[in-house]
Amino acid sequence: MNTEQINAKNVSTKHISVKRYMPDSSAEPYWQQYELPVDDSTSLLDALNHIKEQLDSTLSYRWSCRMAICGSCGVMVNGIPKLGCKTFLRDYEGEIRIEPLSHFPVQRDLVVDMAIFLEHLAAVKPYLIDDNPVKPYDPQAPETYQQSPEQLARYKQFANCINCGLCYSACPQFGLNPEFLGPAALTLAHRYNLDSRDHGKKQRMAELNRHEGVWSCTFVGFCSKVCPKHVDPAAAVNQGKVEAAKHTLIALFKG
Amino acid sequence: MMDKLAMNKPSMGKNSTQHKQAFDEPLWWGLFSAGGVCFAVFLPAVILFIAVLLPLGLLPAEALSYERASTLLFSVPGFLFVGAVVCLPLFHAAHRLRHGMFDISVGNDALNKKLMYGGAALLSIVALGLVVAGMLG
Repeated sequence: MNTEQINAKNVSTKHISVKRYMPDSSAEPYWQQYELPVDDSTSLLDALNHIKEQLDSTLSYRWSCRMAICGSCGVMVNGIPKLGCKTFLRDYEGEIRIEPLSHFPVQRDLVVDMAIFLEHLAAVKPYLIDDNPVKPYDPQAPETYQQSPEQLARYKQFANCINCGLCYSACPQFGLNPEFLGPAALTLAHRYNLDSRDHGKKQRMAELNRHEGVWSCTFVGFCSKVCPKHVDPAAAVNQGKVEAAKHTLIALFKG
Repeated sequence: MMDKLAMNKPSMGKNSTQHKQAFDEPLWWGLFSAGGVCFAVFLPAVILFIAVLLPLGLLPAEALSYERASTLLFSVPGFLFVGAVVCLPLFHAAHRLRHGMFDISVGNDALNKKLMYGGAALLSIVALGLVVAGMLG
């Protein structure tokens, strides 16, 4: 393999500044700089692991899968929300500043409290709700959950969310008002509303059609830019506005 | 902390006012969208005719003479034209201003809403009222 050649050729030293916050020893966050060897294949998560193992065992951060599917290693890189495992240091010149995800309370170093995000997720009932009165649930029925490729295609893109929370750090409206349900929750609501097997749209519309639902979105679109799975939450939220408007019109006529 | 997240909690019993439906928002958003479309579709044509072609003398001299212009304006199509290039864009601008003020934390949203949409409604009534007055007069 020529990987070693490439690695050997491109080993260099980089400086990473990490915003540290350790409430046990200091009330104020502070910046700490680390110097470490990197090559073309070093991801930010590799770098953080190197710091933790070789330089400073007090550094705290979350990580698990290393392959952009668990969604736990989200941090701010030079002010932009990124997944540590999907960000490569070869793409950065000069100083690299790492901070915990914006708009969330910081617990320690790069670890944030995502409780409010999980509350918003739970509020939109992001699971199949099957209360179809025409066809009551029958575990023996083989065709209960059949779905055509066309029906799958309607929501497939919006189903790729890994709940990493990068879109919440990118969203200025969530920053201004943490009660805003936010990009990922609204996208997941839309994903289940579009699912042919689901019958829970009415319950979800009550959440979506609040001021803190779709109507707090001003279509900034940064959520879609930072999404590591190309889910395009901005599109989902704005399709949600059309749905909420339809829902309101129908409610007006039905009384 | 974790018990707060219980998914199966019966529809968040916190308080029902938090779940108040935003019945007005679809209206503002609809006017905003319609205004945006009119901005994009009609105003460039208006600018082309009134601000470019006319001053350059590329239109026949009497294309927008006083008589012709007032007959065009004070008519049902003129009424619709004013609605499309004045009223709807006014609501578009009001919506943007309201959200912009929220973004920079100026005033409070409930009051801004009344001021912005109220202002747009007032100016719309003046504009359409002038057309109606011209049609009657």
